[in-house]
Order: sequence, then C-alpha cells, then structure tokens
Amino acid sequence: MIIDSFNHNMAAHCESGTLTALLKHKGLEVTEPMMFGLGSGLYFGYLSRTPNLNFPMFILRTKPGKLRKKIAKRTDIKFNTKRFKTENEAEQELDDLINKGIPVACQVDFFYMDYIPQWERVHANIHFITIVGKEGDEYLVSDSYFPKLARIHKDNLKKARFAGGYLAPKGFRYYIEYVPESVNYNKLIPIALKNTINNMIGVQPPFIGVRGIRTFAKKLQGWPKLTRDIDHLSHEVMKINVFLEDQGTGGGGFRFLYATFLRQASEILQSKGLEEMSKKMMEIGDGWRNISYFAARIGKNRDLGPEKLQELGHMINERADAEEGFFKELKLVVNNI
Amino acid sequence: MKEKDVYVDFEPQQLIMYVEKEDGSYGPIQTGSYISKNYLDDFWEKTVKLRNTLLEKLKKNEITPIHFYKTIHDFSDIELSRRTKVSVRKVKQHQKIDGFKKAKLSDLKKYAYAFDIPVSNLLQTIVIEGNENKVEANPSKQPIVVKQTRTENPFVVITKIELNK
Repeated sequence: MIIDSFNHNMAAHCESGTLTALLKHKGLEVTEPMMFGLGSGLYFGYLSRTPNLNFPMFILRTKPGKLRKKIAKRTDIKFNTKRFKTENEAEQELDDLINKGIPVACQVDFFYMDYIPQWERVHANIHFITIVGKEGDEYLVSDSYFPKLARIHKDNLKKARFAGGYLAPKGFRYYIEYVPESVNYNKLIPIALKNTINNMIGVQPPFIGVRGIRTFAKKLQGWPKLTRDIDHLSHEVMKINVFLEDQGTGGGGFRFLYATFLRQASEILQSKGLEEMSKKMMEIGDGWRNISYFAARIGKNRDLGPEKLQELGHMINERADAEEGFFKELKLVVNNI
Repeated sequence: MKEKDVYVDFEPQQLIMYVEKEDGSYGPIQTGSYISKNYLDDFWEKTVKLRNTLLEKLKKNEITPIHFYKTIHDFSDIELSRRTKVSVRKVKQHQKIDGFKKAKLSDLKKYAYAFDIPVSNLLQTIVIEGNENKVEANPSKQPIVVKQTRTENPFVVITKIELNK
C-alpha cells in the first residue's frame, strides 16, 4: 500500500516540514516558513547542565512538538495524536492507518534512519518523519532531510519509535483530522510574533533567549576543560556549524527561515515595517553563518587556543546584541500593526 | 544570505536552505552540506582515532566494552541508563573492569540493543586486515564486507565475511 496522493518534498526543518506536507496533503496551502513562524519556533537556549547530555549544547528552536501544539492551539486544525505502551500496538495501528490512506507523522530517533548518510546519523529522539506506505517488511518514508521517498525496515522503525532516553518518543504519532478552509493570518501573525519576542527578550532564565546567547558566548570559554583532548574539543566546536546549518535549520540557525516568515507576513499584512524587519533578520542570519564558518575552520585547524575561543565568543555576543536590538524593534513594529 | 553564496555542490548530503534570491525574494533552495563537503575527512579522521584509542584501551583491559560503546555513541551514563533500563548505579559499575565481570547476560542484551549491535559484539571486535585505520562512508566501496544477521535466538548472530561483488 502506497499513498500516491502524498507529495514528497524536502524541507528545511523536520518538524515544520512534516507538518507543512501533511497540511498540504489535506488541502491547506501553507508554507514551511509560515508554519515555523506561526508556531513561534524561533528560540535560543544554552543547555549546560542537562544530565542526559554528555556535553553542553545550544538549541535554536522551541522544544520538539511545541510547534505543532501551538499551531493546534492557534488555528482550527485538528490533530490526532497518540503515544503507545507497546511496540506491537503502535505498529498495528500504523499499518491500519496506512491501509486507510492516512499519512502518519512519527517521532523517531534519527540514528535509525539508515537511508541517511552514516556521518549525519546521531542519537536524537527529536526527528519527525511521515510514513506514506508499506511494502512487505518495509515502510515508505517521507523524510524532510532526504531528496526522495526512502524505505525503512519495520524492525528499524520500531527501534526508532521506541528508543528510550531523553525525549523518548514512546511511539508518538500524529495525523491531521481536520483542516479549515483558510487560516486567519491577520489575527495569528501578531500573536505568534509577540510569543517569539517574549521568548527572546522577555523575562526568561539566563540560559534562554538573548541572555542565553550571551551565556553561550561566556561558557564556550570553559569548553577545553570539559573535553578529553584537542580532537574532542575540535569535534564539539565544529558541531556549532552543524547545529547552525545542517541540523534542519534552513541556514543561519533558523534565522533565514524566520526572515522568510517575516517577508511572507509583511505581504499578508501589507506591512512595510515587517518587510524591513525581514531584511534585518536575514542579516542577523548572515552573522550566524559567519560564526558557523569560523567554528568549522578553527576546529579543522585545531586552532582552539583561548584567543580563538574569545574571538568566537565575541562573534556570538555580537549576535546577542543584534538580536536584542532586533526584537525590541520588532516589538514596536508589532504594536503598530 | 544570497543564493549564490549558499549553494554547495555535494550530492551525498542535501539540505534545504532559505536564501535571498536574485530577484530579492526569499525562498528555499536545495544545496549540498558545506561542512560535509569541506570537512568530512577531518570527521572520519577523528572518528577512527577515537575508535582506535578506545580499542587499544579495551585490549589492555583498561576500559570495558560498555564504556567503549557508550563513548562511541556519545551517551551520558543517565542517557544509557534510560535507554537500557539498567540502573545508573549499574551502568557506572559495568564501566569498571571488575564491575563488568558481574554484568548479567540480560544486562548485556539491553546494552547491545541500545548500541544497535549483536550481543556477541560486546565480547569481540571484527577487523578487516588493512582496514584498521579506515572508516569508509560507503560500505559498497569496501572490497570485503562483514554481514551480521540476527537469528530468532537473541544471543546468536551469523557473521558472514564476503567479497564485495
């Protein structure tokens, strides 16, 4: 059984990409940047003391699943969501849904997606894929990070859906039950913008938002003490590039995706102010991209002395300043919409 | 970022990036990964070095197989405990030489599942001669392939060494 009516497309980010593809399949014309923006996906967090993590990390978007929950809360779109106690129950239900012609989004551990190149695959229980068919023991997968429909053995999918650990999926799946004829963008865009502004410059703990970016710049200086050797430090510093560019961000740590959302929002709301802000966000993304190039270069050259880390920290602090100014200005623009 | 500054020709790893197009509009393009195109060799070098360093320690009985695979998979003790449902105390214990000897077969089975390897691989390392210092991204390019097939017995795996046709 293959759901032929489902169109596979790559997307910048797995969660917004999966959501957008399912909504389009259901007949609602939406774009990925609009879903990302309406779900207030843009974020920053520096996680230094999470016991599940071996090393500090930074996040650039809201907690996995939150985007969809916000879309559900803000629009009339109805999702059917479920977690499972047993693997067999989850597999049986998935098969039944596929047989009914319903594409199903599943939360998985990215490590088990064996159609993805080996070097990309890491353990992360935060990946979303859409199952769009089954042939024999293999499921057909629409993965935002893969150019064509892929196949995954049922045993691998089972492992991926029931991997334990941090943010364990517990077989989580969702599909869309109902979509309205249209979305009231005029009402929702300001709400979504205000939420993101609050996440970035509102009253937040010191590791969240703009303060979180500054914490990142500061804590980065202590990374050499946390690593086994220079290769380990190089690996962690080069991961800054991966987190900003390759791990489903659309480039510049989601800032280019958000700039595109602002551009689309400006067209819908006929707002020159938002159009200007979209340009500024694109420039902020350029700065993050420079950081990712710089991190990759010093990591590769093992040029990781205190001066280079300070330089990197300085570049990150500049982003904090730029984003603080940006979101303060965006607040004024939103208040005038 | 301008479209022309983003595009990378690297077919094995494709991404969607949002860019400013030539006409001034913003939208997606499909491109290759910049870091993989330019720095993948460095990644493999570090991976091989880490694996070989750990393997030497394993051979000298300085670390246990649990510590070896935990490091390779970049799991913390708590993450490994959650994935295996083996207590954190035991996970710590099983990473010590004397503690590993006390591990039950049922514990090893849980670890093997989390590390995505057969249980037997916790007690052996399969190496192709001359390949010790290589990690080939594409297994189809290897002259010899090692295939391990699970059986209905959770503790028995069939290991076949074949010429790559």
